[in-house]
Amino acid sequence: MSERSEQGLRTEGLTKAFGGVVALDGASVAFRQGQVNALIGPNGSGKTTFFNCVTGMIRADSGRTVYHGRNITRAAPHAIAHAGIGRTFQLCRVFPRMSALDNVLAAVRPVGLLGRLRGARNRAEVDRARGWLTRLGIEHLVDVEARNMSWGQQKLLELAGVLMGDPETVLLDEPAGGVNPALLDRIGGLVRELNAEGRTFVIVEHNMDLVMSISDHIVVFDRGRPIAEGPPSVIRSDERVLGAYLGV
Amino acid sequence: MPSASDPATTSAARRPAVTPARAARGVLLLLVVVAALSFPSLAPNPYVLSAGILVLNYALLSTSWNFVGGFTGYISLGHGALAGLGAYGTGLLVTKAGLPSFLALLVAALVVAALAVPIGYAALRVRGASFVIVSIALVLVLLLVFQSWASFTGGSRGLTVPRPFPDLLRPEHHRVFWFLFAGLLALALLVWWLIDRSRFGLGLKAIREDEDKAESLGIPTFAYKLVVFVVSAGFTAAAGGLYALWFGDLDPVFQFSILTGSYLVLMALLGGVRSLFGPLLGALVVGTALEYFKVEYGSTPLHLVATGLLLAVVVLFMPDGVLPAVAAGIDRFRPAQQSIREVTAAELREQRAGGAAAETELAGARPGGAPATKEGA
Amino acid sequence: MTSGALIFQSVILGLLLGGLYALLASGLTLYFGIMRVVMIAHSAFLILAAYLAWWSQTRLGVDPLLSLVVTVPLFFAAGVLLQRGLLSRLRPATLTMMSVLLTFAIAVIIEGLLGYAFTGTQRRIQLGYGTANLELLGARIAVVKLIAFGLAVAALLTLYLLLKRTTFGWALRATIQHPDAARLVGIDTNRVAGYGFGIGLATAAVGGTALALDTTIYPSLHWHWIGPLMAIIVVGGLGSVPGAAAAAMVLGLTQSLLQIPLNTTWAQTIFYLALFATLAFRPQGFFGGRLAQRF
Ligand SMILES: Nc1ncnc2c1ncn2[C@@H]1O[C@H](COP(=O)(O)OP(=O)(O)OP(=O)(O)O)[C@@H](O)[C@H]1O
Ligand SMILES: [Mg+2]
Repeated sequence: MSERSEQGLRTEGLTKAFGGVVALDGASVAFRQGQVNALIGPNGSGKTTFFNCVTGMIRADSGRTVYHGRNITRAAPHAIAHAGIGRTFQLCRVFPRMSALDNVLAAVRPVGLLGRLRGARNRAEVDRARGWLTRLGIEHLVDVEARNMSWGQQKLLELAGVLMGDPETVLLDEPAGGVNPALLDRIGGLVRELNAEGRTFVIVEHNMDLVMSISDHIVVFDRGRPIAEGPPSVIRSDERVLGAYLGV
Repeated sequence: MPSASDPATTSAARRPAVTPARAARGVLLLLVVVAALSFPSLAPNPYVLSAGILVLNYALLSTSWNFVGGFTGYISLGHGALAGLGAYGTGLLVTKAGLPSFLALLVAALVVAALAVPIGYAALRVRGASFVIVSIALVLVLLLVFQSWASFTGGSRGLTVPRPFPDLLRPEHHRVFWFLFAGLLALALLVWWLIDRSRFGLGLKAIREDEDKAESLGIPTFAYKLVVFVVSAGFTAAAGGLYALWFGDLDPVFQFSILTGSYLVLMALLGGVRSLFGPLLGALVVGTALEYFKVEYGSTPLHLVATGLLLAVVVLFMPDGVLPAVAAGIDRFRPAQQSIREVTAAELREQRAGGAAAETELAGARPGGAPATKEGA
Repeated sequence: MTSGALIFQSVILGLLLGGLYALLASGLTLYFGIMRVVMIAHSAFLILAAYLAWWSQTRLGVDPLLSLVVTVPLFFAAGVLLQRGLLSRLRPATLTMMSVLLTFAIAVIIEGLLGYAFTGTQRRIQLGYGTANLELLGARIAVVKLIAFGLAVAALLTLYLLLKRTTFGWALRATIQHPDAARLVGIDTNRVAGYGFGIGLATAAVGGTALALDTTIYPSLHWHWIGPLMAIIVVGGLGSVPGAAAAAMVLGLTQSLLQIPLNTTWAQTIFYLALFATLAFRPQGFFGGRLAQRF
């Protein structure tokens, strides 16, 4: 292994089957630390399952996940979050009956008994949470319960919550799914900004314009494993990618 | 609910000045305290006082239940058994080990809290149904054990617990215990309130909303659930112990009754599991009704039918409780409540005036403000 | 009686009991598979069926086995109504918890109504063949126990064929394993779920009748049954019908054998021990049950 692979997130031979369906088939991927990575592939190629295995939400049948040289394959999801990997869900998950503010504050990670008993709505954290809400443009919804928000607003709120946890690596599962074009641009811009501030991104996305415009490095999945990777210019003209998408 | 008053200064962290709602709440709290303190002198006879203690006991148990049920959304039908363990633990420590009454109560509560660790481990390790299954199984198995192990527990003959204050006359005895129960209830409410506003509490509520999501945000869900279950078990057992010292006579059939557990659930659900005083209110209603019907009609199978029907109605039609349902009803008539959305809309207009184009687009994406239909849901 | 014969008798009795457990647990497993519902009222319906069998025998003079002609369709309809009319109305987010409360409420209502209609007095069916025994290698087996076992086996076999050999069974299994996919291939999962509940309750009708043959019944008896049944479906691996059947046989046998050195009540605690141990050390159960991962 080169020393580069000790930096950042990589997987070795991740495999996961649901009954007879092999969702991940020995997926070995190394993402570029400090860059915007995209993970693309046709529907059902295992991208979401890959995220679920990496974040510990489901247990892979075999293979390992390594983050900064540390094996996190069997770690609990909250421990993986603490290690610095945050994620959003394809079907946007927020706490429906909590206000936007509480949704974001829930990502605070207190330590010790006293830290946990401290008021959730303390000044410093509320200001930080509002900061994220402002940055994502939903500051005016601070007291609105998440279930009363539109889809796009919920997606932004989910992202605000994830960012509140200050993840070094952010996994986004279809951030542009079902949002309007204006919001799409904002999300794209935001990803670039946050990346410039030092966060690594791995983005699963079907919107090729967005993928090509914001990513530095693209990994293409087909049938549970990577079939190609490289910069957008290379991927754009790769025949295997075309084949996978057209089902050849 | 903090209402968004002035957009420039609103912050949930900054305490708003005394609002009418806050003042009303303060007055209400004061009234409750005064009522609690004066009830023993107002009660016309010892019987009413002892009935009041029973209701207070229910309020305490139901509030203790609400540590788990309210914060995490995990519903236990087995808290009757935890109370029974506390009661028997206290009784046995007094009679067999000769411990002073209240030390016995404390030790029993701590022992039950410790026991709650392995129980909670089995119940909470996997998500969902296993918790309910364990809670029911706990009642059933403890009933078996305490009935069968007659040499130790007295079996079906029951266990007599000596009174802590042998010199006191009956009315005085009730009076003292009224205040003891009220004190313990106040403590439970205080702890619930502290957790409710804490980071720990927010984590628990996140678990209630979406456990996977909470975990992925970094909340150690299993540990959180276990801790709050242990706290709940401790308070429940203490309540059971206090009951043992007050009532002085324990019978496994009543101590390990699944019906008791379901009363607690009913009370909490009825009053509203998300609010501090919900279970207390529910206990006042259900507990009083229970006592009333017992006196008027004796114990008939129709009690079961009524309990079942009431539970079914609450579950089907007002799972959030009566208190929140009423509050929502009142809100509909109060113009101030709509301010959340109207102020938001005003803010939006301001932002549109001076904001970036993207933000205008975003505002356009909102479906005419948040959908108003969900308000009463 | 020699101790060898005693053990042999216990084994036979345990297997017979296990068969009945298997039938009753299969209903509970079905509900859980279909909707992730722990149906607390299952054993209350069981006792209700037992009372109906007793009632038709004492009041109408009809053999309990004949009463099945009425109770099975009746319970099937009740199951469909229960699922379509009540359980499917609950919010999916809180379904697991709220369905427990709702079915608990139904159990309590049934218990109360039984107490009201028949009082708390213990009842027992008196049958012509009720006291007959069969001698087998020194073991004495009551004929009614054999009949009960026969009923259970017949019902389980029917259930098996229904699930494996019919289009409906295919749809039901698809609904259990992957509801979304089932909907995609055109299965009306709501209707299938309703019928699934109907079948579950129909097993309670058969089980209750079998139970009534040689058991003394009283309204609160269902609490005595729900614990062991829950233990069985957990040990078997929630959602797995064959798993539940295997666990039922093993636990029924163990209980029966434990009754030799211990008394009946203590022997019963084996179910709870097995339940706690399974959840603490092997929550996915011991006999397969792929669903367990998802519960
Ligand atoms: N919990 C599950 N149970 C059974 N099968 C599953 C489960 N999750 C995923 N699968 C299957 O695994 C395969 C991969 O699914 P996955 O969701 O990972 O694909 P994806 O690449 O994210 O697709 P999409 O682009 O549509 O989101 C699919 O065939 C899917 O049906
Ligand atoms: Mg996906």
